[in-house]
Amino acid sequence: MIRTELKRGTAEIAILSVLENQPLHGYEISRRIEQDSAGALRFTLAALYPLLYRMENRGWVRGDWVTSDSGRRRRCYKLLPRGRKMLAPLRAEWADLFRAMRRVARVNHA
Amino acid sequence: MPDWLAYVNERLDRLSLPETESLQVREELAAHLEDMYLSLRAQGLSESDAVRLACDQVSSWQEVRRAILAAKSEAFMQNRVKQLWVPGLVTLFGAAALMAVLQILGFRPFVIHLGQPSSIFLDVPWLLSLPLFGALGAYLSVRARAAGLAVHCASLFPVLVTAAAFLVIILASLILDRHVSLRIMTTAFAASVLNGVLLPGFFLLLGDWLLHFAMKRRAASN
Repeated sequence: MIRTELKRGTAEIAILSVLENQPLHGYEISRRIEQDSAGALRFTLAALYPLLYRMENRGWVRGDWVTSDSGRRRRCYKLLPRGRKMLAPLRAEWADLFRAMRRVARVNHA
Repeated sequence: MPDWLAYVNERLDRLSLPETESLQVREELAAHLEDMYLSLRAQGLSESDAVRLACDQVSSWQEVRRAILAAKSEAFMQNRVKQLWVPGLVTLFGAAALMAVLQILGFRPFVIHLGQPSSIFLDVPWLLSLPLFGALGAYLSVRARAAGLAVHCASLFPVLVTAAAFLVIILASLILDRHVSLRIMTTAFAASVLNGVLLPGFFLLLGDWLLHFAMKRRAASN
């Protein structure tokens, strides 16, 4: 069963996926998503941070302040075990969606 | 380069969050805009174009404020439930259930008559069990990462509920029972507060204090 919150799930799975390999700060997250999706997915500041704070509340990610060599302070988000656990069901939901859309609307999987 | 922190501060000045949290949110958003500006400049855009594109990240700062507060308040409510309500209700129902069990088993409170209508009820076994419940409430609250007042409130939850009930009864009595002498009413309520709030409160707080003492000692030994 595909849940109705799929739209929010798009953003969640994108963020969790880019954090799977390494911690990133907010701008890097949005940049990485944009690059990996070849510009199809774009997160503005207004959309990204409320979502990151929600995911942090749920214990999926954790933001820690780090200071770079240039002296800039950035909040780096790290994927937590609970967030890593969420990735598998989210990916399964997306796979279900693609299968369903292929059948219904002949939409091809990328 | 523009002062992005000043730019964000101007637009999110009324972010109703604790001061430290509010500062961190503003610093983080400013850092995002700064990174974007620097990245656009590195791609060869002119200063004005880079500033414009960075500023276009947000069409409505009011919306950003609302969305951030909604996300943060969700956490506040979740934490309030885990840090106060759940530990508090466990303490309340645990203490109430033990009192019921003791009464079923035939334990009766030791009564000290101070003259009508006030008496002091010393339910000794129950009172002696209260430090355990006070410590349990405090422990559950601390485990949910609460600190300070929330922990004490979770520990004292049963007497806070009783005190609130007494307050309502006192106010209702003052309005409805005007024929009863104020002296009698005051004495009766003073005794009730002593029996229902102060004595149990002392024992619950003792448990809270013992838990904190044990935790401090454990932290020191580690």
